[in-house]
Amino acid sequence: MTAVTAGEPVPHHENLETVFRRQRTGVVLLLVADVAFVGSLVFSYFYLRGLNTEGGWLAKDMSIAPIWEGWALAGGLVVSAAVYYWGQVGLTRDNNVRQLKTATALATFVVLLDAVGQVAQLVSLPFGVQDSSYASEMYVIAGAGLFHLLLALFIGVGMWNRSRIGKYSASDPFQVRIVGIWWTWIAIAAVVTAFTTSFVASPNHIVGG
Amino acid sequence: MTITTSMDDASNRARRFVRRRDVRQVFLLWLALTVVLVVFGATVPARLMGAGASPSMHAIKNTMTLFSIAAAPVAAVVWAIALYSLIAWRHRGNTQPESDGPPLRTNKPAAVLWILLSSVLCVFLLIWGLAEMGSVDAAGATSDAMVVDVTGQQWVWTFSYPQEGNIESDQLYLPVDKPVVFHVTSKDVIHSFWVVQLGIKVDANPGETTTTSVVPDRIGVYDVRCAELCGLLHADMETNAHVVSADDFNKWVADNGGQSS
Amino acid sequence: MSEAMVKLGASPEVDHGGGWMRRLNLGTAIAGGVILGAIGWFFAHHFTDSTDPRVSDQVTLITLACWAIGFMVGIGAFNGPIRWLTGRDQTHADEMFLAGKDQGVSRYFRFTTDHKVVGIQYLVATMLLLGCGGTLAMMIRTQLITPHSTFLGPQTYNSIVGLHGIIMIIATIIMVTGPFGNFILPIMIGARDMAFPRLNALSFWLLAAAIPVLLSAGFMGGIPTGWSGYAPLADQAPPGMDGYLMAIIIFAISSAVAGANITTTVLTMRARGMTWNRTPIFIYGTVASVGLALPALPMFMSAQVLLAVDRTVSGKFYDAAGGGSPWLYQNLFWLFGHPEVYVILVPAVIALMELTPVFARKPLYNFNAAVLGIVGIVGLSVMVWAHHMYASGWAPDLNGPFMLTTEMISVPTGVLFLVVIGTIWRGKIWTTIPMMATYAMLWNFIIGGVTGIYLSDVPADYDLHGSMFVTAHFHYTLMGAGLTGAIGALFYWFPKMTGRMLSHKLGLVSFWMVQIGFNVVFLGMFAVGLAGQPRRVFTYDHMFAVGNFVSSIGAYVIGLGMLVLLYTVISGWRRGPIAPSNPWGGKTLEWAVPNPIPLENFEVLPVVISDAYGYGEGDVSPGHWVEPAEPLEPAHAGAGAPDVETSTVPLQEGRAE
Repeated sequence: MTAVTAGEPVPHHENLETVFRRQRTGVVLLLVADVAFVGSLVFSYFYLRGLNTEGGWLAKDMSIAPIWEGWALAGGLVVSAAVYYWGQVGLTRDNNVRQLKTATALATFVVLLDAVGQVAQLVSLPFGVQDSSYASEMYVIAGAGLFHLLLALFIGVGMWNRSRIGKYSASDPFQVRIVGIWWTWIAIAAVVTAFTTSFVASPNHIVGG
Repeated sequence: MTITTSMDDASNRARRFVRRRDVRQVFLLWLALTVVLVVFGATVPARLMGAGASPSMHAIKNTMTLFSIAAAPVAAVVWAIALYSLIAWRHRGNTQPESDGPPLRTNKPAAVLWILLSSVLCVFLLIWGLAEMGSVDAAGATSDAMVVDVTGQQWVWTFSYPQEGNIESDQLYLPVDKPVVFHVTSKDVIHSFWVVQLGIKVDANPGETTTTSVVPDRIGVYDVRCAELCGLLHADMETNAHVVSADDFNKWVADNGGQSS
Repeated sequence: MSEAMVKLGASPEVDHGGGWMRRLNLGTAIAGGVILGAIGWFFAHHFTDSTDPRVSDQVTLITLACWAIGFMVGIGAFNGPIRWLTGRDQTHADEMFLAGKDQGVSRYFRFTTDHKVVGIQYLVATMLLLGCGGTLAMMIRTQLITPHSTFLGPQTYNSIVGLHGIIMIIATIIMVTGPFGNFILPIMIGARDMAFPRLNALSFWLLAAAIPVLLSAGFMGGIPTGWSGYAPLADQAPPGMDGYLMAIIIFAISSAVAGANITTTVLTMRARGMTWNRTPIFIYGTVASVGLALPALPMFMSAQVLLAVDRTVSGKFYDAAGGGSPWLYQNLFWLFGHPEVYVILVPAVIALMELTPVFARKPLYNFNAAVLGIVGIVGLSVMVWAHHMYASGWAPDLNGPFMLTTEMISVPTGVLFLVVIGTIWRGKIWTTIPMMATYAMLWNFIIGGVTGIYLSDVPADYDLHGSMFVTAHFHYTLMGAGLTGAIGALFYWFPKMTGRMLSHKLGLVSFWMVQIGFNVVFLGMFAVGLAGQPRRVFTYDHMFAVGNFVSSIGAYVIGLGMLVLLYTVISGWRRGPIAPSNPWGGKTLEWAVPNPIPLENFEVLPVVISDAYGYGEGDVSPGHWVEPAEPLEPAHAGAGAPDVETSTVPLQEGRAE
């Protein structure tokens, strides 16, 4: 067993650009897993809707979730991502740390509103999770959205705080850019799920059930 | 220095290759292994599967036999080289060999040939499989096929005969040489309706009806088993399939309160 | 590592680094898990309706989730994110502490980032899981030694079959990538550590959190659905099923993190000069496997999340009466499940492919073909999943296309065989245990692969699906090729990982017992499967008695052989002969570092000038690497970086035969 850590570690500087490319690769790969997960939810929604087993996709006389809600939440995230991007560009182009600070604060605030909205949607859905497969799908998709939002809230607060204490500059904007990738993805994910859940009635009409 | 074309060059190399002692010995080993494996493949799988009772099962047994025979030379190549290497090229001793082997790195012709042969084999298996699928699916799916509704539930099979007056039974009776279509469903969890010697299997799903068909061609008593873990007594979810003559079938129907169609 | 700062000069107060992390270890992790788990259990009881038939699942899942979170808090996994949030980034001293500097054995029980420590941790975890799974296997085969045994009742039997399966699946997923992908891979590519050392520790400790969750299933009614957990049977199952699904959710996160880490490491941290042509094949195999796991494991996680909803609040994902479909579960599961078998198989077979040149003293044969074979297998593996569903009735018209894609996989798989036997051809075969593992794999994987072709044929599958034939097939591939490969890799790399040699004699005893026992078990199992015995049955017809009896005897031989292996590993680790730094004469970079390995692997990062397979090329071979005249900045042979030669030694093209 290498019980002794032999030798003094070699001090070394890492080129920031190199580190950035490495971290970006890692984040993109993690996103592959998240994309697969969101993709599986989209797949399960369309598959169950298409099968309409025993006509049970929608329960008899069931109200459906208002379609505008998903789009509003997605819209909020798109706005948030745009604001964040504005802050990122301000930093990389003009070294405007103030703009980054404002942008991260604003973008995070929008995420907070979105999260509150997502919770509001969840508690106001006009059906129970057990009412039908459509109902269960809506709850899970909304829950996954909420999960993204809570993570974004954490990251957003962190970005705001760190830009506030001067961690980022035009010569070291790298973490800002990487977080931008994440922010863009969750906005895309929200749009994709809003799109998915806007298709409600099953094309497969089964009698009975 | 004579000028040779690359074709002459390649064929010279090939001729020298096959004349080498190790190549010839590996070839002989390969031949011997192939013979053994062909004999094994031609007899053992079919023997273990028992006598089939439908064209579907005969086709399946033929497939198993054919695939085994086709696999024999492939397995034999790998095992002959592996075996020969342990006989002829083995380093005796506990320590690292003093010198290395020959620096043979790339052999494009060998790789191309290997990939080509395996692709051809693959295409053959595929065509065979598709043809087999066609014949098996067509077998029982004729318009005058008898219909049997199969219901699986924890942990029994129930068979009902809509065309014979909706009689129900926990034993499956089938007339020989008549196509039969099974409509299979489940009342609870997934089961799998498997009539072993007839070579048919389809899952029983709650909320869905799946279909399989067959033409039993031998009179006898066969095994119906559940092939999907379905709970506590999955192992006991078995019954029998009785393939009987047409007369015996009608008698059974009548005895059970139905009318023959 | 994002803001690594060199500590220059002496400071008046020596900063040992680490902060909170100094106090956190496995003990505090368990304490955290137990405390938060108890709190979760208490509140779950308080806030749930005890008349709800789903209440035990609600309480169980909440308790297990709280255990996992508490465990991760206790090991210090949240330390990093919280320090990031507050802007107090890691100092160099912190990083050195986290890397385990000067901590002796205790660093193995902490959130240590040194990839060598993580590798050893994974090795121990793998052995633990294999031991648990193997014990369950002995119980299963004991029940099946006679047709109507009453050793175990149906409930116990069914529940341990599933538990055995999922424990082994997790064990085999991690058995090569975990120990060797972590310990050996960074050294093999000439790097100082992984790309994300803290994520490395995270992936291990997530696994550590998941293991008690998984094993707890055994005390909560087990997993009576088989390891595949099909709904709606999984909906009926006792709370052990909640342990199953929670363990999988945690494990999926662990795998995603590990996958991103290993892939990024290989993409961006290979030594200067290590072009893709000069990258050892083991690297390709590992990246292919974890890269495949990245999109595949989330499918498994998704299937379980939906199952959790069904089980806790009567969701309707898989309940046909409510518009759900069992076929949804099967699709999600097999979208994971088929790539997963290659996640298991590829690193093991490719590890053997990496060590075969060393013990045949010949270059790897047709390196490009080997890479193509790996790429072909991984690429096709995402297109074959529904061959597990031929008999399900979900889409009979798709059976033909899936038969096509499945049979096509035999071509790239065959290429891997070509590479191995080509490497052996005319070599100087040194029959060490690792090399013997290669031969065993050649035997077992042919049988496993050919029987897979039978199963890929749709009509044949109508007979074989759900029978013991399938069980024998996948044990031949995952155990006969997979586990054998892992054992070969262990004997090969043990001297580097521990500085000691494993006993060849004991290794021989264990090897023959395991391999002979294995073939007896599963050849017998093919026989009863062909004769019509279904799988996952606690009792069976008399007609299957002989085959089962033979299989069970073989299983006991395996069990004894594995105990010998365990003894071999433990005694070797404790008192084996001290190993030279390159006992096998290997050429890859890990053999160039001394034992014990320095904390950051290389004093000076090497420059790679040729591939690592220059056997038999004598003086003409430039060798795999050189030490540069001046120390380089850390490796950046990443995307876009040009291949800069610092050596003037001309390269030799490999000569064709």
